Amino acid sequence: MGDSILDMYLYETNTLLEQLDGILLAAEEADTFSEDSVNEIFRIMHTIKGSSAMMEFSSLMTVAHRIEDLFFLVREKGMDIVPEQTRPDLFDMLFQAVDFFRGEIEKVENEEPLSQSIDHIVNKINSLIDKIQGNPGPSEEAPAPAEQAPAESASEAPAAAPAAVNEDYLYGIHAFFDEGSGMENLRAFMLITNVKDYCSDFVCSPDNVETDPSTADIIADQGFFVWFRTAEDRNAAIPGVKNAGSVREYQPVDAAKPAKEEPAAEAPKAEPAPAAPKADAPAKADAPAAKPAAGQQQHAKESLISVNLAKLDQLMAVVSEIVITESMVTSSPDLKGLRLDNFTKSARDLRKLTDDLQDVSMSLRMVPVSGTFQKMNRIVRDMSKKLGKKAKLTLIGEDTEVDKTIVDAISDPIMHIVRNSMDHGLEETEADRLSAGKDPVGEVILSARHTGSEVIIEIKDDGQGVDTQAVLNKAIRQGLATPDHDYSQKEILNFLMMPGFSTNTEVTEYSGRGVGMDVVKKNVADVGGTVSISSEWGKGMTTTLKIPLTMAIMDGMEVTVGDSMFTIPINSIQSSLKVGSQDVIHDPHQGEMVKIRDNFYPIVRAKDLFCMDKGRENIEDGILMWVEAGEHSYCLFVDELIGEHQIVVKPMPNYVNSFGVKNFGITGCSILGDGSISIILDVVNVYTAAHSAF
Amino acid sequence: MAQTEEVLFAREQEDSYNEQPPEIQTDKYLIFSSDGLMYGIKADLVKDIITDYAITYLPQVPAYVKGVINLRGQIVPIIDIRLRLGKPEKENFCGIVVEVEGNMVGILVDMVEQMVDVPLDAILPVPTNKGQAMVCGMCTLADGSTMLELDCELLLHE
Repeated sequence: MGDSILDMYLYETNTLLEQLDGILLAAEEADTFSEDSVNEIFRIMHTIKGSSAMMEFSSLMTVAHRIEDLFFLVREKGMDIVPEQTRPDLFDMLFQAVDFFRGEIEKVENEEPLSQSIDHIVNKINSLIDKIQGNPGPSEEAPAPAEQAPAESASEAPAAAPAAVNEDYLYGIHAFFDEGSGMENLRAFMLITNVKDYCSDFVCSPDNVETDPSTADIIADQGFFVWFRTAEDRNAAIPGVKNAGSVREYQPVDAAKPAKEEPAAEAPKAEPAPAAPKADAPAKADAPAAKPAAGQQQHAKESLISVNLAKLDQLMAVVSEIVITESMVTSSPDLKGLRLDNFTKSARDLRKLTDDLQDVSMSLRMVPVSGTFQKMNRIVRDMSKKLGKKAKLTLIGEDTEVDKTIVDAISDPIMHIVRNSMDHGLEETEADRLSAGKDPVGEVILSARHTGSEVIIEIKDDGQGVDTQAVLNKAIRQGLATPDHDYSQKEILNFLMMPGFSTNTEVTEYSGRGVGMDVVKKNVADVGGTVSISSEWGKGMTTTLKIPLTMAIMDGMEVTVGDSMFTIPINSIQSSLKVGSQDVIHDPHQGEMVKIRDNFYPIVRAKDLFCMDKGRENIEDGILMWVEAGEHSYCLFVDELIGEHQIVVKPMPNYVNSFGVKNFGITGCSILGDGSISIILDVVNVYTAAHSAF
Repeated sequence: MAQTEEVLFAREQEDSYNEQPPEIQTDKYLIFSSDGLMYGIKADLVKDIITDYAITYLPQVPAYVKGVINLRGQIVPIIDIRLRLGKPEKENFCGIVVEVEGNMVGILVDMVEQMVDVPLDAILPVPTNKGQAMVCGMCTLADGSTMLELDCELLLHE
């Protein structure tokens, strides 16, 4: 079995399960299934069943099949046939089933054997089917859905009886493949190959099976026809059909007759007798029904392709090189002093195109965080049931797009923090919340937004907050803190992110193992981000993840200090100004300040902060960049202003980062048009560094 | 390099296969000198040899990190091995770019000398305590001089 088929299967099934999760959550909210979602679930189950059967994952297939049966009933009779009191069971069962699928898929991914004991879940589904049908006896349920089928197929049965595709080939064989076997077109192709061993003169319908995957549905629906010139040829070819894989049944048909029929329901193989036209095999009744939805889905899918991330990385790297090389060419010193109208015009066009190219290639890697956020819905739901805490999850800025690698890296941390909020953050009982004057239903808010160079993800709960005294006591017990030192609130909260620290004394299923926030911190740090916690006792806790956009393009202002070039992000610059020494106000600690529009702002000298040899000393000679980011606003003193550029942010090499240059506001660098390197400054960290230095 | 040495090196390179049984495995080493000592780096770690690159000064890093260079679009930090080993600094610029654990790092050396094949079992352990810092093996070369194998990982991590 080719790995690519398996990969495809895993990818497809995972996508379907995610989709299913979303539908279920929405449906549970509404406490009912809309017609669309019933159809959608039906279709998903049908696809999983089919592809699992093809991959010979029988446990998956069986469960999917039963759920399909269940939804067949729901679809036929409407949601009303599910009594109110069994609905929670239905949802629970479906969620369990999704988990079961996920578990099995994971096993497949890890090449572990699949679990064989599916009775538990199958029984659950069966008993639900019973309840819905009002049949107490479990013996009834198995055939029940099958009985429903013919009635349904009567309305939706394939309209046209098969017509011969060619007048010369009137002697046909009509074959059906195993129900739900999937990839019917390829199975048909194998059948053709088999038949060729016996007879080469034939045509088939549909005829382009090996190239057109959409024929799979037609074959599943109407069967597959092979037409021969003579009855002898046909008889000779029958063993070929018989031996082809997955052929459930086949029969000779003659196109000359107006009605060519299929065998009755469970006909054994090779039954020549014509039967009633409408009786498509009952088990197949699902196929035509699933088709309209499947058709739409397929259409949407065809406009998407999945690409290896490594290729995108490569593309991105090449594009950034092109951008740099382009500006090397257009600002080449050889051109200085020349008047080149045509060249300038072409260069401008080129610039525009490379900009577009850059935007497009960047956008390829960007995915919305909604996928990750939606998963949290499920966690909040499960935990609120398990812990008996009512809670809702509010998502803000789901469509914020971030780099794919970042999405992958933050998924686990977010999940962990949400669990923490549910487990420890929200009050144990509703009464606790009511007495604190809060809404009895707890709220967890998950938000994402862009600032200039960062994505900020906040996980906020309105629970009891962090008991800083308890945290401190524990930190002291664990030897992380010294008893007679005064710790600020922030420092105490930082203990939460120390390895092995957990305030919960008990280990629960969800959290409390003490391998928590430190792992979160590490994961986020791996993509260059930071985690900070703020909390107010009684009001809740907010965890903020700040993650830089790797490989971002940004507008920056180039400035020089001594021989070095620095880039300040444009969006943190308020303005630049020249001041004289008489405008500078000194404070007792040798600090300098300047007054701008009725406010005083501290001055940070880049030369001193970065301990540089060269650079201007006199405030008149240099220039002040008034910058603002977060709650900090100050003036950075630099030598000269060079100009505004669009730059490609390159991260500092890991080796350099290991010296903690980030804490001094050095976030990355960029390569300028002439090939030299400019260091990108992070305005906030420059301030903190300067502040702690003074 | 003196002529006799070159002859010796040539012998080392070309004849080693012919004269010695093939099962003796050799590694290629790039030899460079720094402050009068000969160091060797496994040749497959070496990505490039550079001269005359403009080094961009980096603030807030130890003095032995001279800065970063732009090597065909890649940002590569440069370490001065003299300063790293606590020796006096010398004005010259000849660098070997090595890749260690996925990180590209340039090492400033006095002079890049030669490539040699060294049999694996010729690399001897460094005597403890008295060992030269950042060295993970020693080997006597065909010309009688001693090559110190530079421990590139130690160079990065300390």
